[in-house]
Parts: sequence; structure tokens; C-alpha cells
Amino acid sequence: MSSHAIRAGTKQVRPILSTDRHEARQRVLNLYKAWYRQLPYIVKQYDIPKSVDSLKQKLREEFRKNDHLQDIRVIDMLVVKGQMELKETVNFWKQKGTFMSYFKDTVEPKPKDFLSKFLSGHN
Amino acid sequence: MASLLRQLARTVRPSLVRNGVCSTSVLYKHTESTEAPGETRPTVRKPDLLARSQLKDFGKYVAECLPKYIQKVQITAGDELELLIVPEGVLPVLQFLKDHHNAQFANITDITALDVPSREYRFELVYNLLSLRFNSRIRVKTYTDELTPIDSACDIYKGANWYEREVWDMYGVFFANHPDLRRILTDYGFEGHPQRKDFPLSGYVEVRYDDEKKRVVVEPLELAQEFRRFELSAPWEQFPNFRNAPPAAEEIKVEEKK
Repeated sequence: MSSHAIRAGTKQVRPILSTDRHEARQRVLNLYKAWYRQLPYIVKQYDIPKSVDSLKQKLREEFRKNDHLQDIRVIDMLVVKGQMELKETVNFWKQKGTFMSYFKDTVEPKPKDFLSKFLSGHN
Repeated sequence: MASLLRQLARTVRPSLVRNGVCSTSVLYKHTESTEAPGETRPTVRKPDLLARSQLKDFGKYVAECLPKYIQKVQITAGDELELLIVPEGVLPVLQFLKDHHNAQFANITDITALDVPSREYRFELVYNLLSLRFNSRIRVKTYTDELTPIDSACDIYKGANWYEREVWDMYGVFFANHPDLRRILTDYGFEGHPQRKDFPLSGYVEVRYDDEKKRVVVEPLELAQEFRRFELSAPWEQFPNFRNAPPAAEEIKVEEKK
């Protein structure tokens, strides 16, 4: 009876790429390294007003955004999408503006405290 | 002159008809009598009962050949055969339909998907196949969710390549073993899958040219709008002509083999 309950609680699912956490972690690290090695070429090719160091920092930030994820399949899906994005970036299919959208340097932060909310017309 | 002729015709016509000489009126009466008696909806396509029974037989045959994968066989819209299969059975079923001598669905017409967020497996995948040999079409349907990969049909149908890329791009269904899975319709750097029901109509970002930066910038979109409650149901009946319409899908019973 208890084994039945456990079986009902854990669903058998088909893996996307990785079968265990270690493999998923290895894929994430490989993707990170691949991006890291491409950064100098990206700076050169895209002609952007950023240094390699700031790109490295950005890369770290983008990976850290998802460091709370536990589900192996979710991690795999993000790795797949990151891989596609790397390919688009390295092959120069993206344009400068698209690549710079990672930095969001024209996005004004939303007003948080009362006075700035009031001054910007939000309430 | 004209009035004279008219007067003449008026006097002549009744006598001719009475004698049965006027051929046109006789013909007209004849055709009227052979008209089908129960013709009430002449604009609606008649069901082709022969083709329908053949489709039923074929559906039963396929279901008996592949009992492990086929969950349900149904006929929709009168004469369209549909096979509802489990997600693991995509490759075997497609391979069977392509290579079996009595099927020969060698042509893939379309692969598409539907998003129904309330279901456990929210995406419904639809494969439309065409058999040029037998001048026949069939539809294969399966289901998946955001994280369950589906086997790619590229090895069976070369034409499935771009269709699967389209489904991946629009719905985010991952196809395992696809040779070249990447976006096909959206722009590079686009985030999200636009045909999902939870994707907003206006999108998440707007793109504009920034004169100061001298490049195109991407900014999050915010459309302030008054809260509105859309009441879409009307008090009157929408389609009274379809009140007694047959159900959209008719299931074909397949007897279990013991």
C-alpha cells in the first residue's frame, strides 16, 4: 500500500537530456564555459561599448538568475535554449541591438518609494 | 406593334398549354416530379456513406494492428479519420502509416499543435498525412506538456523538419533527436512562445529605435488599461440552424482482442 502511494506521488517522466542531477549540472557548466570562451570574440564582432569583464559579469548574473531551480527537466530546457542562443550570438544572426538587450540599459527602473511614485504619476 | 404582339400571345398561350404542345412547360413539370422528396438543406454537403464506411474499416484495421499505441479512433466533420495515440507511439504509428501497403501515407501535410492550459497535458499535437496512392487523408493526434519531449518525425518524413521547428517556436514543445531544432518564425532574441494561451496579445517587450544610443532598444511593455469584465455569452441562441447538428466527433468502437 505504501509503495503504491509513493508511486502515485512520484510521476515517471521522460527526461529531456539528463537523467540525474550530476549530468544536468555538467551540462550547465559546459554551457557556461562555452559562453565564457566566446565572450572576447563577441565583443570584437558586435562592436559594443562593453568590455570582456562586464560581459563575464553579465554572463554570471544570467546564470545566477536560475540557480534556485531543482527540476532536472526545467534545467535541461533552459540549457537547450541557452545553447540555441549561443549559436545565434556566435553566428552573428543577432544584431547589435538584440545582443545589447541583455543589459537593459535604457530601461528605467520602476519607482519604488512613495515620493517617486507620486512624481511619476503612478500610485 | 408590341401591344398587338402581346395581345396575340395572351390569347395563344393558354390553348397551347392545354394541348400539351408547349415543350418547355412539359419538361419543367417532368423535372419537378423527379426531385428528391426529402431535400430540406440543399446547401449542406451530403455525407458520403461509402467513403465513410471505408474510413471506419481502415480506422478499425489500424487500431487492431497497433493496439499498444492507439487509444481512440474517431471520425470528425463527417469524413475525416482521426487516430488518437499515446506520445510514445508517434514514430511507430507514423512509420506504419507511411510504409504499410494498404496505407501509404507518404506525404506529411502539416504538423501543428493546440494549447489547452486546463488539461494535464496541455498541448495537443496534430499530424496531418496524405496518401497520394489512395487519395486519402488521415489525422494523427497526440498530447504532451511543456517539459515532455516528443520524438521527432524527421527520420520518417523529411518535410517534418520545419513543421516541428514551427511547433517548437510557437508552443515550446521539445522534439527529441531533431536534426536542427531552432527558431523559425520569431526574431532572434525573442523570449517566450507566442501561441501559448498564457502569452499576452501585446507581448512582453516593445522594440524601438533610440536616437541617443543609435540602435534599436528592447524595453518591457506596459499597457495601462481599465479593468474590464468581458461577458461573451449572449442571451439568444447563436446558431439555431445547428441545433440538431450531429456531434463533431464520432467515435469508432474497436473491439478488444482477447
